[in-house]
Amino acid sequence: MSELPDLKAEEQREDIAPDGEAEPEAAAPAPAPEPKVRRLDIVGRRNWFFAFSLLVIVPGIVSMATHHFALGIDFAGGTEITTTFANHPSFQQVESAVEAQNVSGSVIQTGGGGYILRYPVLNQAQLNGIEQDLQNRPQLGTMNVQQILSVGGTIAGETIFYSVLAVVLASVAILLLLAIRFRNVPGGWRAGFQFGGSALLALLHDVFILTGIFSILGAWLGLRIGELDAFFVTAVLTVVGFSVHDTIVVFDRIRENLRVSQRLSFEQVVNLSIMQTAARSIITSFTVVLVLAAILIAGGTTLQGLALALLIGIVSGTYSSIFNAAPLLVVWRRLQPLR
Amino acid sequence: MQLVLSWPIRLLVVAILVFSLFVDGAGYVYRIANHYPLQGAVPGLPPNFGGWQLFFHRGLDLAGGTHIDYEMTNFPAGQSRADVQRKTIDVINRRVNALNVSEPEIRGAGSNYDRITVDLAGVNAAQAQKAIGAVNKLVYTKWVKDAKVTGGPEAGYKPQLTGLTGDDISSATAAIDPNGTAWVVNIQFNSSGADLFDKLTAANVAACPGDTETSPSAQCPERFLTIWLDLSQKDIDQWGNADYAAKVSRPYDPGCLAAPKPGVVCGKLLTNPITRERISGGQAVISGNFTQQSAKDLATGITAGSLPVDLVALDVTQVSATLGAESVKLSLAAGLLGLAIVVLFMIVYYRLPGLLASLALLFYAGAVLAVFKIVPVTLTLAGITGFILSVGMAVDANVLIFERFKEEVRAGRTITAAVDAAVRRAWPAIRDSNTSTLITCVILGFVGPSAVKGFAVTLGIGVVASLISSIVVTHNLLAIVMASNSMRRPRLLGVDRVRAA
Repeated sequence: MSELPDLKAEEQREDIAPDGEAEPEAAAPAPAPEPKVRRLDIVGRRNWFFAFSLLVIVPGIVSMATHHFALGIDFAGGTEITTTFANHPSFQQVESAVEAQNVSGSVIQTGGGGYILRYPVLNQAQLNGIEQDLQNRPQLGTMNVQQILSVGGTIAGETIFYSVLAVVLASVAILLLLAIRFRNVPGGWRAGFQFGGSALLALLHDVFILTGIFSILGAWLGLRIGELDAFFVTAVLTVVGFSVHDTIVVFDRIRENLRVSQRLSFEQVVNLSIMQTAARSIITSFTVVLVLAAILIAGGTTLQGLALALLIGIVSGTYSSIFNAAPLLVVWRRLQPLR
Repeated sequence: MQLVLSWPIRLLVVAILVFSLFVDGAGYVYRIANHYPLQGAVPGLPPNFGGWQLFFHRGLDLAGGTHIDYEMTNFPAGQSRADVQRKTIDVINRRVNALNVSEPEIRGAGSNYDRITVDLAGVNAAQAQKAIGAVNKLVYTKWVKDAKVTGGPEAGYKPQLTGLTGDDISSATAAIDPNGTAWVVNIQFNSSGADLFDKLTAANVAACPGDTETSPSAQCPERFLTIWLDLSQKDIDQWGNADYAAKVSRPYDPGCLAAPKPGVVCGKLLTNPITRERISGGQAVISGNFTQQSAKDLATGITAGSLPVDLVALDVTQVSATLGAESVKLSLAAGLLGLAIVVLFMIVYYRLPGLLASLALLFYAGAVLAVFKIVPVTLTLAGITGFILSVGMAVDANVLIFERFKEEVRAGRTITAAVDAAVRRAWPAIRDSNTSTLITCVILGFVGPSAVKGFAVTLGIGVVASLISSIVVTHNLLAIVMASNSMRRPRLLGVDRVRAA
């Protein structure tokens, strides 16, 4: 009922367009030959695209279930010293020096002659003792400490709690936002929740892809870049925002097309909308991917994990907004018809 | 949308741009105005414009320094936790003063007033913990006869704890005495302290009455009420050792007390004033040969004496200044590289509109950086990443508009109508998608782990600025440039053909 006045208002605004032109579909001369890409039937082949997503997600879930995650210091707790040594010792030399200490420590080599030494949580006195001990080893040379991180169990637990809380709250807020914004499509609130729910599923798809790949990288393959830290949470939340960003653009086009081309079936409208917005989605993601590639190359070790996570998430987000979100909407609409 | 294209709005945009550039280049404006060289260190930086200091506030991961989260335990009973927290922050502030840190940040946190966050630039964790954790307990002693004592300040006498401690003092301030000739320290006791102090001074005077200035008989050791830092019963038990007593009775040594080493006896004497008269009402004056500085130090020492609670370090982060400088360089490089790539791509792909969007992007970057300086936003590594990322987001709104613009032109609209329709029709998508990002930012800013809050703030500012930049600046630039016929060539716009107006 509320859609009707809304529709009229929109048409009136169209009528007073500066050159007094009517809807392009009606009055424009035959449009230029349609780009070939428009013939792609994404909605029809949706099961293939769903299958492709599962191909990435399932190994990730298997890895998460069997290997869990490699937790960085933010989540696991502990003390970590990032340092260089004046004599540029080999990895073995540093490792044997750390093993000789009476605290169980481990060594990770970073680029540029740097080392990360990891210990269980140390207090200041223990830390001073360890530094002193390393300083006194002539084969290593003077220690130049770049960074010390020490995270106790309380803070680590809180970081995990607040991270999960942030992701859950953001998801709920986005579902509500979409339901509100899309309640004026034919079908009302129920349709609004279909839009919101589909966007949410696409969003969860991206979160699972991202966490799954990091579980594989960090826990399965044992790579340091796959460790989860506070930056990873930043990445997940950004991907959540970005993925919904892309999805909203497609859904917004669906809403508009539902209004103007009522001759088409729902599936046709969805497919048309995907085709009309795909170029924009890919271009935007491409520019962000370029920026991220710049960070990955030039940003130093601290930011590389974040850049990689964002890269995976944004590629996944673009894929899901084109190939998953709108097709999911079609599936949902079939299971719960509204018209 | 017609409102956006009006001249007042355009003037406003230009005004914002000029102001932003002024803020961004405040350092250079200052150098030029004062005929200083553009490179190297010059006096008076960061410049002060009518009380406004304009510079980038760098977080610890960029400036180098130490961050500690403390948990407060053993709250004293009967006091509000908020008050105790405020008092503790006060004490930490005073202790940290000794480190000469520029802009130390000590904030209360925790849902139950049980956390304190300390950010100290340019200090390593060991120094910081030492200064903050130094628990100097101020104690008052009186002197009692002990025949076994041969050394120390008074042979035949040893100190005895009176039960009056720094916890009983509510304030201590340095001031000039009523005669205006010498510096003194005024002490105000709380009510229980005042009672005890009253009794102690009365007993002092009763031990050997008389005028302390004129009568030597009135200067017996029992007349002195001595103030120490960290003097313990254990110290007093060793008073029979003359060497030990002499060493403990030296003026207090803050460095030694902060890091006690086995076998080394630290000086612990703060001051040894004689009691002239019985003092009721809880106000006392410590006089002596004070300079302004030593009186202030003493006042600080007295009140900074004890923390009302125990502090437990929950996490400690120490970043060296060199790593911080390295991070600044790398993130700057990443930002500029990212911006350059985006500008290049936009111009190659969208031609003339791309160029206009790039101009809008420069406006955007200038304005956001100015906001960082004015607010001010403390920039961290995560914060800079948020900003770089928001450059990507800022492009998105432009891409939406341009893709729509091409579509409208292909559909046969005139250029003017196409610009208008493109902005108008892209708007709902731009609005909704940016709202979702803003929601994420707000949630991250409130419940996110502290390390990522900076990210949320810069990304949020970036999203709002990008909205303005794309809807107002790009739109206006498009409208102005498209008014010229020579600009309406299909090649410049990246479309096949253009309908004549």
